[in-house]
Amino acid sequence: MSKQSEANAPHPRKEPRIPGPLSLERLKEVFADCADFSKREVYLHGDSHRKATVCYIDGQARSERLNDYVLRPLAQDPMLATAPESELFDLMERGALYAHGCKRETEPDPVVMALINGSCALFLEGRDDCLVFPVATEEKRSVGEPENEPALKGARDSFVESLRTNTSLVRRRLRAPELKIRESIVGRQSLTPVDVLWLDGIADPDTVALLSRRLEDIDIDGVEAAGNLEEYLVDAAKSPFPLMPYTQRPDRFCQGLLEGRVGLLADGIPLGWLLPGTIDQFFKTGQDRAYHWLVASALSVIRWLCALITLLVPGLYIALVTFHPEAIPPKLALSIVAAKQEVPFSTIFEVLIMLLAFEVIQEAGLRLPGPIGATVSILGGLVVGNAAVEAHIVSPAVLIAVAIAGVAGYTQPSQDFGNALRLWRFLLAILASLGGLTGLALGCAGLIYHLAQLESFGVPYLAPFTTGTRVPRGHPSLFRLPLPAMKWRDGPIKTRNRRNQR
Amino acid sequence: MRRGPIGRGRLASALLSAVTALILTGCSGLPTAREMGDMALLRTLGVDNSPAGVAVTGSTGPRARGLQGEGEAALTLEADRTSLGSACLAMQGQSDSYVFFGYVDQLLIGQTLAEEGIRPVLDYFARDSELGLGAQLWLVRGATAREAVAAGGDQGVDSRLETIRKDSEMGIANLTRTAGEVYTDLLEMGSAYVPALSPAGEGEAVLAEKGYAILKDETLVGFLEGEEAKGLELLAGGAEADILDMETDGEWVSVKITSARTGSDLSFQGDSLTGLKLRCRIEGRLSEYRQPLSVEELKKLQTAVEKREKTRLEGALEQLRAWGTDCTGLGARAAMTHPARWQGIQEDWPEWFSQVPVEVQVEVKIL
Repeated sequence: MSKQSEANAPHPRKEPRIPGPLSLERLKEVFADCADFSKREVYLHGDSHRKATVCYIDGQARSERLNDYVLRPLAQDPMLATAPESELFDLMERGALYAHGCKRETEPDPVVMALINGSCALFLEGRDDCLVFPVATEEKRSVGEPENEPALKGARDSFVESLRTNTSLVRRRLRAPELKIRESIVGRQSLTPVDVLWLDGIADPDTVALLSRRLEDIDIDGVEAAGNLEEYLVDAAKSPFPLMPYTQRPDRFCQGLLEGRVGLLADGIPLGWLLPGTIDQFFKTGQDRAYHWLVASALSVIRWLCALITLLVPGLYIALVTFHPEAIPPKLALSIVAAKQEVPFSTIFEVLIMLLAFEVIQEAGLRLPGPIGATVSILGGLVVGNAAVEAHIVSPAVLIAVAIAGVAGYTQPSQDFGNALRLWRFLLAILASLGGLTGLALGCAGLIYHLAQLESFGVPYLAPFTTGTRVPRGHPSLFRLPLPAMKWRDGPIKTRNRRNQR
Repeated sequence: MRRGPIGRGRLASALLSAVTALILTGCSGLPTAREMGDMALLRTLGVDNSPAGVAVTGSTGPRARGLQGEGEAALTLEADRTSLGSACLAMQGQSDSYVFFGYVDQLLIGQTLAEEGIRPVLDYFARDSELGLGAQLWLVRGATAREAVAAGGDQGVDSRLETIRKDSEMGIANLTRTAGEVYTDLLEMGSAYVPALSPAGEGEAVLAEKGYAILKDETLVGFLEGEEAKGLELLAGGAEADILDMETDGEWVSVKITSARTGSDLSFQGDSLTGLKLRCRIEGRLSEYRQPLSVEELKKLQTAVEKREKTRLEGALEQLRAWGTDCTGLGARAAMTHPARWQGIQEDWPEWFSQVPVEVQVEVKIL
């Protein structure tokens, strides 16, 4: 096999990752050329015949803990100088050193992983096994407010990059021991811990098993972005619609677990996913249960309506103005005719260009730092838009239609779902410009067909609307009923216990 | 998750079915795109007869040329051809814009054309994909439709006609009819009534209401005006905002009619029709008076109003019976309670309507 084809062939996973017996020398080999690998030799209570070597990764281990709990007892405890050498390891393991945990290891793999995670490894001269003490640093971003899902009436904490902090945020809300957390390691190089959370007795065990199996099947270099998990766990390649709803808010995440969904948290990603994902999940906000049910229902209906508006308005405008003008009320038609005078471009071209310009302005605003981004939005949206209308480059009616569609899209609680609607908006506009209302209707039929064939962990994406008679239904998706009336967990997600209150 | 061969097969068969369905609809291709900015939206269409065949006049109403140039004069197009379709086509060629007929809200028919028959015009409107039968239908009395359209001058006549229609909805103008309603009446009952207009005044004339034109078998048989027109409105269940000035004991009192409903019933002896009973219930209230009326005076007033409304009803009925036109559908409404017997007389109802004795009852309640 040539070098090139060898490089292109799939690489098998090495098990164990570091072959050979454990020894201090082997560890040095493994961490050769690692500037942050450190080791410290210590005489036990000043006895130069008894030498211990402590290895750790600088920056991963916390110096104070290393000094106080490991190095100080080693250097000062007289018992370590007098005890028989054969008992030294036992003494250290059973309390001569003060760390809250201790593990004796004989294989290089777990020692290397422990060092990387912030532990220190203690070797004694003449022995090949070692003791591992957890002295990891806890430096991390503090728990802040959820910027993407602001809470007006509710908890203000949000997930952070540290997985264990995130699981503790969940555990503090769901104190029941039925909250189970199963950990998998994903990524050959990143070795990212990914936790599956569920409430035993409520969540569907098949979904838990399926999720765990898919996590085990992921064989990638690293988990650096949310897509590294999403695109491997669900068949996301064929659809722009998100199949894994996520949240930054622990309270919402816990609510999802209580509804019988299975949670997923990954180290380094300040988000929690809730599975299976059905379409109604992308229209819910963390505030739905905080507001009065009538207000929450009205807002929910508005969000669904806005999804239709953002999807259909540009296409509908093209279809009506270009192909079916008789369907427009006369006074509106006269206004459109007046606005369209002296505009050199066709309506189809105008709408498509304005949709594109809208996306460009939005993208430019996002890429720039906050204050400059706002300036670009104002400059692009107001100044250029106004100038374009005054110069008769575009008609104001098109500008209004595109702006309404754009603003309606921002009501979507899920950015991913909003992005999918934006893509389909283009497609429907193009179809409308080819075949008018017929094209638009065919496009809508295609969209429904597409959504109907999507599944997330065995649950139909349109489950709230399409479950058959055999599957027990949940509560209406468009409205939020009074909470005492919401007695049932969703049927399609196959919870083991459907009743959620007395 | 993954689409297998069965999934692909289903998709292919669904696409095939969709394409087959599309072909079966008779679609010969994609629809044609037209830019609204290049359109002249006709709002009013007048149709007369002419030596050539048909004279068609179209008006756009005030147009806007761009955002800054509002208030441009209405575009009026005229064409005389052998048929309505060819005249409309000829009008297309006269304008620098695409003439769009989909917004024709007002259809004016000249009196001479109505005397010859309006069915061909309504047939054309029913069949044309742009026009449709939703337009308001008016009959121009004593003038041609072209003169009526020209009466609007630079502003066109559509705003005036739209005002009359809205007034009618509030009960302060003649009853209006759409082309579809008239067409249906002609097909089902053989007769119909159409509001009549006439250009009044010098130069830029104003279209004024001029009673109702009565059509029988698609041709004009006459007009109802004044009290007879009011009687027709009572028969049709309109005239809601009529004001009657009555004299009681030397004092003038105004009564505002707030509602009027006329019910009809057929009387039979055995299977033979013996009479038509009309019962008109009118409600009104005193709108102007010098002194409060006593109970006796109120009763007198009620009797006087009853008498006047009865005279109106009988006047209209007499004329309609003379023409043999039950254009308000009295027989059809009465038939709801005698469906089996109605089948026997339905064919000859116009003759029956002219001959059968009619009993009119009027009940007036003044609040």
